[in-house]
Amino acid sequence: MTARRRRQTATAYLFLLPGLLLFAVFRVYPLLEGLRLSFTNARLGRAAYQFVGLANYTRLLEDARFQVSLWNTGFYTLASTLPVLAVPLGLAVALNRGALRNVLRSAFFFPFTLSVVTVGLTWLWLLDPVVGPFNYYLRALGLPARSWLADPATAMWAIIATTVWWVTGYYLVIYLAGLQDIPRELYEAAALDGAGSGHAFLAITLPLLRPVLLFVVVTHVIGSFQIFGQVFVLTDGGPGDATRTAVQHLYETAFKNFFQFGAASAMAWVLFAIILVFSVLQFRLLRGHTEY
Amino acid sequence: MARRRRVDGQSLALTAALLVLAAVWLLPIVWVVATSLKETAHIVRLPPEWIPWPVTGDHYREVLFSSSRTARIGRAFVNSVVVALGTVASVVVTSAMAAYPLARWRFPGRSAIFTLLVGSLMLPNAVVLVPQYVLVQRLGWLSTYQGMIVPEAAVTFAFGVFLLRQFFLTIPGELEDAARIDGANAWQVFSRIVLPLSQPVLAALAIFAFRSAWNDFLWPLIAVNRPEMFPLPVALALLRSAYSSESYGPIMAGAALSALPLLVVFVVANRRIVEGVRLSGLKG
Repeated sequence: MTARRRRQTATAYLFLLPGLLLFAVFRVYPLLEGLRLSFTNARLGRAAYQFVGLANYTRLLEDARFQVSLWNTGFYTLASTLPVLAVPLGLAVALNRGALRNVLRSAFFFPFTLSVVTVGLTWLWLLDPVVGPFNYYLRALGLPARSWLADPATAMWAIIATTVWWVTGYYLVIYLAGLQDIPRELYEAAALDGAGSGHAFLAITLPLLRPVLLFVVVTHVIGSFQIFGQVFVLTDGGPGDATRTAVQHLYETAFKNFFQFGAASAMAWVLFAIILVFSVLQFRLLRGHTEY
Repeated sequence: MARRRRVDGQSLALTAALLVLAAVWLLPIVWVVATSLKETAHIVRLPPEWIPWPVTGDHYREVLFSSSRTARIGRAFVNSVVVALGTVASVVVTSAMAAYPLARWRFPGRSAIFTLLVGSLMLPNAVVLVPQYVLVQRLGWLSTYQGMIVPEAAVTFAFGVFLLRQFFLTIPGELEDAARIDGANAWQVFSRIVLPLSQPVLAALAIFAFRSAWNDFLWPLIAVNRPEMFPLPVALALLRSAYSSESYGPIMAGAALSALPLLVVFVVANRRIVEGVRLSGLKG
């Protein structure tokens, strides 16, 4: 290495130093430390702890509540993916060519600027079984009112609806950016060939949006596996354990009821493994035929 | 001609339908604001009253200044401002400094570092919750501003590097060469040429970091246990359990207050927000 190259390398690392230090201490180290903790019986306030091998992991196989919470998380992820993909996509296609595009985009985007707690409190009030406006208008229309959040059959769906309302604006902006990149001539050519707008959507829009769809699905699925705030505010996991999710169970195991850091770390790594598998699967499934 | 008019009629109908849908979409927010301004007796009245009359500021006064509750929204508001601004400053400084050499210079380890940072964007935050708590506890940072700011900044740092590096790559190198010939050193080139040219993307990153720090919930819920240090989302969530469920007035006043700063940013810098989100979509 020449003296000049060596100096440039030193300068580069000086620039990188603060950020890399932050990243190493607060991202890389906790990840590895979590893996180590998952093989121990560490607890909050317990200074000395032992390695217990795979005990935390094998115990998860018998932990019925953890399994229920994983199942609920999986259900939430599966059931919310289609609406989270389709609602903003439909809006984006409708908004893309029309007037008032930016005003409408802003309106739909606004809920996404709110915190999950604000969103949760808003819907808690809207869905209030006795004095909430949602049930009032249902009754006015002659439809059955119910305690949406206290009924095991509907509680998770109410959480999904809340989430769709919250995140639609975010994905709408991303879809609109993707639609802008599709050359207009393709649609004009299709129209000349006599293709209807439905056919053009299937033949042009969807295939060319594939990378954007991949991004939306992967982002949403990674986020969904970690759902916590909506549940914490709206149902606290109830009724019973009907909406208990994996991160909520992890939170309670580590910080609320038992302060078992070892067991919670094992849950975190199981969750991490599941998220990794799903992400890789989605990349494989959706990437395959991007060439068009 | 006839065909043209039909199409116009169609798009007019579509726009009208979308306007109605957008209005319905925002109704929950109208409901929150209306509730927060109603007298307590009016809040639970049916049919729902969408226009608060008479208007009262009592609920705002109560959540902001009353000291009788465990979670004081006024104090929490200040905490959130400190945490969000601290995070923005940390993220912008560290990301810009790290992104510059990654965009401009060749040096050993460059692509490995960049790959590691981009890969970490997929890392689920829930996975590091417990060890991060242990770390922050060992540092003595529980219930402190730095205990909220630094971990939050570490999450957004990698995204910031990605975003800024993309932008730095688009700046033509001639300006920097000229400055270097005039005797400027690397730091001067970076701080006097590159940063001023990057103001739009720095603003987009600042807004992105502000939003995620302002709204973060799970980490401060764990890392803060002294009520006077709660940020807004935690204080709000606990405010809910402090009141009986009929007391929606103060809770909705707190919710409306928590939405205010981002509403202002949103109105003032709408384009930057959209740009930031759009760019975040490119990371996949």
